[in-house]
Amino acid sequence: MMKGDIFFNLSLRSVRLNFLRSMLAAIGIVIGVVAIASMGMLGTNMQLEVKEQLSATANTIVISSDTVRMGPPGFTPSSSTASGVTKSELTKIVSVVGSNGTVIPIYSTDGEFTINSLAGRGSIYGIDPGDIGKFLTLNQTYGNGTIDIGAGEVLVGADLADDFNLKVGTRIRIGSFTSSSRPELRIAGVLQPRGTVADGISTDNGIVVNSQWYTDQFGGKDEWTQVNVIVKNVDDISDIESALDAKINTNAKTPSVRITDASSQLATETSTLSTVTTFIMAIGGISLLVAAVSIFNVMMMSVSERIQEIGILLSIGTEKGEVRRMFLYEAFILGLLGAGIGGVSSLLIGYTVVDAMIGTTAYLFQPASILYVPAAMAVGVVVCVISGMYPAWRASNMDPIDALRSE
Amino acid sequence: MTDTPLIQLVDVTKTYHLESGDFTALDHVFLDIKENDFVAIMGPSGSGKSTMMNQLGILDVPTSGKLFISGREVATMSNLERTHMRRDTIGYIFQKFYLIPLLSAYENVEYPLILKYKKRDTSGKASVLLEQVGIDKDMSEHRPTQLSGGQQQRVAIARALVNDPKILLCDEPTGNLDSRTGYQIMDIVCGLHKEGKTVILVTHDPKIAEYAHRTIRLVDGRIAAS
Repeated sequence: MMKGDIFFNLSLRSVRLNFLRSMLAAIGIVIGVVAIASMGMLGTNMQLEVKEQLSATANTIVISSDTVRMGPPGFTPSSSTASGVTKSELTKIVSVVGSNGTVIPIYSTDGEFTINSLAGRGSIYGIDPGDIGKFLTLNQTYGNGTIDIGAGEVLVGADLADDFNLKVGTRIRIGSFTSSSRPELRIAGVLQPRGTVADGISTDNGIVVNSQWYTDQFGGKDEWTQVNVIVKNVDDISDIESALDAKINTNAKTPSVRITDASSQLATETSTLSTVTTFIMAIGGISLLVAAVSIFNVMMMSVSERIQEIGILLSIGTEKGEVRRMFLYEAFILGLLGAGIGGVSSLLIGYTVVDAMIGTTAYLFQPASILYVPAAMAVGVVVCVISGMYPAWRASNMDPIDALRSE
Repeated sequence: MTDTPLIQLVDVTKTYHLESGDFTALDHVFLDIKENDFVAIMGPSGSGKSTMMNQLGILDVPTSGKLFISGREVATMSNLERTHMRRDTIGYIFQKFYLIPLLSAYENVEYPLILKYKKRDTSGKASVLLEQVGIDKDMSEHRPTQLSGGQQQRVAIARALVNDPKILLCDEPTGNLDSRTGYQIMDIVCGLHKEGKTVILVTHDPKIAEYAHRTIRLVDGRIAAS
């Protein structure tokens, strides 16, 4: 219907006649559409990636000491001596969980380490060698490693191994160059990458040591930073959590431990990510605002160049609404042009950005992500049409006599 | 039928408010134009010819007095009604042709049909009219800028006729043409008058005015002779 419309044809010919100018104006829309679509896609892909990774540890309950609430005013928890989950609490956990899951007590702290002349920083986890295999696996491409680490041995995360070019058998010293004691340990294995996880054990840039060695080095024996419970059936998770809460947090006003799982962390992370995404998209939206100004400008030029033509149209009986429609079509065509190019570009740019920043494009074509492209295109077209409204109104309200007389 | 004039001006005055003061372009004009009249309007520059044409073409309304076209008082009509009357009752032929530059000759002629029927024309009326005014099929595909002045004016005449208007307003139709082409155009206009159109012609060329059956002289916004 639109194709046969004489006013659409007139607009199309006008755009063609001033193609360079029209394209320049449309570039603003292209940039706006690309900004909104690719940022939206990036944010959504991050959320999907986090969701996927967190759901891998969805069966894990994390019990940590509620140090913030337990400490008196002015109390600063220090990494090794802060009271953690106590032995009696651990016993209660074990008795509640029973055969419904596996209980893994874990020590952790932040620390520095050195490899030859290079220094690094990361989390140091102290875990009983018997528990390590219950949730961590080795990547054997770095050398034939073992999970059963002794006192002088350590497991390192995948990113750490790549950054420092580590292999099984390399030596690593715990502590900074200035530390008085820098015990040397042998790398017994490299762990598989875990990504973002909800169980509090981010080993990719960290190291895992024998729990015995950990308490010898850092102290704090039987005061675990956290206790992870891997439940057998994920559907039982909330029942077990309430049972644990009832048994350990006997004083409701001052609970002694905090019990969390992936779902609460997922909610926090995705809401943070979506806030950031919205913010970045809003910045992209500003570029559309700038584009709107340039479309407005080009439309005003088009109107003032065609005053005599508008005069002809009006004098031989064209309705005001029809003149308005002609100029709105012109803005619409500019919008389609910009949105079309923008849509294709945002697919390409979105793919590249997502691939570079997230490392996978597995989620790119999921509806939640890919729908940003048509949505941004629609916004671009709407912005164009809105920008064309005033110029179109102005054209339709010209006095035909004055318009005819203008050269 | 011929008793009621097709066009009737009753005490029409048109005043423009300029910075240098008010300027009266038409001064208490009375005029009747009957159906199938052929009227030439003559007069020096500034005598009110253009203002008169704008009134007759209902592009403008009188400051005072009444203008009736087909029995309807123009000032009481809505904007849209006036637009529709321009489209359906009046055909315009301008000195500068005023074809729509982005449309081909054929589309220019088809355009008023589209305005009236809100769809592309399938009746072939535009092609028939173009042929009648001497524009062949090949030429009708061209844009106005690719046509000579005479050809453009022929296209403009076909455009003016396509909605079968009662009134033809010709504003110096030969003013931009050489005399030979001018006479050819006037022959077409005379033919249209014979077919029953009411023709109103503005010109300052007495030879062209001779085609008309009645000549009105305007001086300072008044009718000096009729």
